[in-house]
Amino acid sequence: MAINTVPPLIAAQLNYLLSNSPLPINVEQMWSGSKHHGLLDRFTLVIPFCLDYIRWDVIYNALYPLAAPDIIFGPEDESFRPYHVGGGDGDLKSPRKSLSDWNCKDPTWLLSLILELRELYMTYQRKRVGEVDDERLKFELSTIVPREGIEMYMRSGIEKTEEVKFAVPLLGVDINKMVTGCPWRHQQKIFLEVIFPVGRKYRHAPSTPRLKLVASPELKALFSTEDFRLPPWLDDMCMAEYLPILEGLLQSQIVDAVSSIDVRRKFIVALAPLFGRPVEADPVFCRKVAFLTSSGVFTFLVHFSLPLQFPKQQPVLMLQSSQHFNPSGAPIKSPVITEFPWSSTWESSEMAERFFDFLVEECLNFKKYCNESLLQQR
Amino acid sequence: MERTVAQSSTPQGRYTLLPSRYSSEDILFCIDVDTESLVEMKVTGPNGRPITRLDSIKQAILLFINAKLSINPDHRFAFATLTKSASWLRKEFSSEVESAMAALRLLSADSSSGHADLTQLFKIAYHEAKKSRAQNRILRVFLIYCRSSIRPQHQWPVTNQKLFTFDVVYLHDKPGPENCPQKVYDALVDALEHVTEYEGYIFESGQGLSRVLFRHMCILLSHPQQRCLQDLIDIPKSLTKKSPTADSAPGEENPAASSQ
Repeated sequence: MAINTVPPLIAAQLNYLLSNSPLPINVEQMWSGSKHHGLLDRFTLVIPFCLDYIRWDVIYNALYPLAAPDIIFGPEDESFRPYHVGGGDGDLKSPRKSLSDWNCKDPTWLLSLILELRELYMTYQRKRVGEVDDERLKFELSTIVPREGIEMYMRSGIEKTEEVKFAVPLLGVDINKMVTGCPWRHQQKIFLEVIFPVGRKYRHAPSTPRLKLVASPELKALFSTEDFRLPPWLDDMCMAEYLPILEGLLQSQIVDAVSSIDVRRKFIVALAPLFGRPVEADPVFCRKVAFLTSSGVFTFLVHFSLPLQFPKQQPVLMLQSSQHFNPSGAPIKSPVITEFPWSSTWESSEMAERFFDFLVEECLNFKKYCNESLLQQR
Repeated sequence: MERTVAQSSTPQGRYTLLPSRYSSEDILFCIDVDTESLVEMKVTGPNGRPITRLDSIKQAILLFINAKLSINPDHRFAFATLTKSASWLRKEFSSEVESAMAALRLLSADSSSGHADLTQLFKIAYHEAKKSRAQNRILRVFLIYCRSSIRPQHQWPVTNQKLFTFDVVYLHDKPGPENCPQKVYDALVDALEHVTEYEGYIFESGQGLSRVLFRHMCILLSHPQQRCLQDLIDIPKSLTKKSPTADSAPGEENPAASSQ
């Protein structure tokens, strides 16, 4: 085998993991356990956990491809010993069975092992959090225990304080199902990240935890967590009280976001009689549409970008020539256009007409801009 | 011929935008590099330098790619050339403009090929289309053909499994006693109808004008899943002030007319 290749059995298990993991796991680096063979039999996996990432090193041995790998956990997790069947610790299942039945030829084994270990890691963190000597935290834990899917962990915060972080999945509703023609391959989720500082220092000052809304990345085509204002956390509130308030607000905003898709759709359709059939439009979220138009022999594209808050927030335009090019051969684009007659109260057909009239004039400015750009290139 | 019709028109042909399938595209350019690609265009370059068909084609492709990525940065492009048959120029599909520019720099004309067989092109496309579909993408083959007397042939079987869309741009000399661009055009239309999954478009021009080529390229930006029939294409629409008198001033080219 050549240097810098991954031995086939290891590659099969790693590829299976990367293609089939229900969570987005990545490989951060790969290296060889021996400079003599140079085969890449070790790698670091970056695994999502509690809205952050944990890094575990997976150590195979290319000379013993039949053996199960060792897993090395992070430096803060020295007390995480999943292979040790704890005395009297009924909860802690050992993955020893998976390891003793290790079948190197089965490509699904590494993924099963990693997922099993992650479950055990979750339990371990929950136990650590449960052991923290903090009244407030103990109370919070007791009230949110029934909620499913919460991940938590203990970490050192700034200035050696300790913090406990919770990742609380919100909204039992399936957002994917709410979007007609939904293209998302993964289930979109929204989480509330809650961080409590803990320890003796804070016993007498029940502070507001740090709160942040975090969503899976593809959701931003529909809904922006940055634009969402979190309801205030009142004094003496606890998570069990806060979460329902938050979820109620979030639910209604998600429903609004879904219905605003059709408002954007209506606008795009209203543009077609005047601007012609679009060359391409986003039919699911209706955020973008491009038209091909001309003014005399000058042919150019008009790109509309529709914000999530449309029509409260106006669209943004950009023009792109088909006949003028910059020195690297790219067609000349106008700067983003935001100044035009606009009112959110107009009917979509009136909006379309106003844009048409505006562009009749504006395209002449754009043609001049393109010609000037060409002159500057000489 | 069974053809997948885009779901974006009412029976009257009015535009609708239903929340239907919308896949990012993998677009395979196949550029004819026969000597006829070196025929000069009508207009010369900025310093009087002659521009060949191939020069214009390269610029047209860059226009297309930049515009496509402005619309959706997830579309990807690969490149092949056509001499007697098709062969890869750059096999990996990429959405990087730099990568396309590098591939186009490698593009150069070959000697006279004698005949043109599209079978290999369709084989490659069929194979690649399966890969694209596995990634929820659709494949489009974009042939740019330059020969005025050589009718392209193929031995692609009749099949219900049409996995890719086929578009053609045909640049040719003005028809005369020594050539047969009309016959070539008809052969291209036949090939298109034989293989295309969604509605394929074909444009031709014998005028030798780059801006006509660029305009055709822009119409071809149309996403296959959102196209109307070629006969019903209504773009580019003219942005002129609406008045009771005629829309276009005399002497203005009517953009919708086919140029030949």
